[in-house]
Amino acid sequence: MRISIKLKGLLLGVVVLFVGLSAVLLTQLRVRASGYDELLQNPVRQADLARVAQVDFKKQVQEWKDILLRGHTPEDLAKYQKQFHEREAQVQEHAAALGSAVEDGESKRLLTEFSEAHKVLSAKYQAAFDAYIQGNFDFKAADKMVRGQDRPPTDLFDKVVARLDARVHEAVEAQRMSVAHHRNLALTIVGGLLVLLVALGFTVVHSITSRLARLKAVSDRLARADVDGLSIDISGRDEVGEFGESLRGVHAAIKELSTLAAGQASAAS
Amino acid sequence: MAAKLVGFYDVLGKELGLMARMKLALLTKISSSDAMSAPDSPANIQLFEKSVTMIRKELGKA
Repeated sequence: MRISIKLKGLLLGVVVLFVGLSAVLLTQLRVRASGYDELLQNPVRQADLARVAQVDFKKQVQEWKDILLRGHTPEDLAKYQKQFHEREAQVQEHAAALGSAVEDGESKRLLTEFSEAHKVLSAKYQAAFDAYIQGNFDFKAADKMVRGQDRPPTDLFDKVVARLDARVHEAVEAQRMSVAHHRNLALTIVGGLLVLLVALGFTVVHSITSRLARLKAVSDRLARADVDGLSIDISGRDEVGEFGESLRGVHAAIKELSTLAAGQASAAS
Repeated sequence: MAAKLVGFYDVLGKELGLMARMKLALLTKISSSDAMSAPDSPANIQLFEKSVTMIRKELGKA
């Protein structure tokens, strides 16, 4: 095969390899990025939503305490009562949204249980509120009716948050493992192809340079007209082989010239 | 001994001189001394005939 074709083939191989690897790496990058998007869209978002609902519930309980401690004027009472009911509605809304979003069966069950417990608690808060009004703002009696009642729903929601956090950690770990696996695979393939390419390139270059070195040695001897015992065994169907073939002609011509010169010298003597 | 191949050198040398013998060696890649030991094979004879024709044409005595 001609040297120009070999070198062009090698260059083409490098380009094809580079383009192919770039395409594979870009595809992998897109797949990994979508994996992280998926992670952010589902487990992370659900855990965030759970924490928001958890904080809403804590604020609702705080609003109840504000009613008891600061709701002694009609204006304050109306204000804190309104805020309390807003928080109550937000808790229900966020818990329902989270319940429909989560895939984990146990989390779903805990959320349903929480919603039921929260509704029961709301009824108790309403009864305590009525007692508070009828008892001429007797906050002690009202507080006694609901004291500690928010603990069971709080515990249920803490469990939901803990489960969703655990799922986030699992998903992050799975994604990390997947990335590490694909990174190692890519490094192995790229490394293997690089070694193959280097070996192929070295073989091609060595085959050319070693024959060029022999050609140079022959050329040096012909330049000195040192043709005695010279054998030109450089063959092949490439440029080096063609050059070797030309040098065989030059070698024969120099030999012919030497023979004629020797003949004339002996005739003269 | 390849008498026919050596004969090409003798004839061409007498006809066209030293330059023609050198050109024959260049084209055939076989000098007259090597021609003595080279076989008178049909391929060699054909190569010499073709080369001689070219040299005669080039040197103006075809």
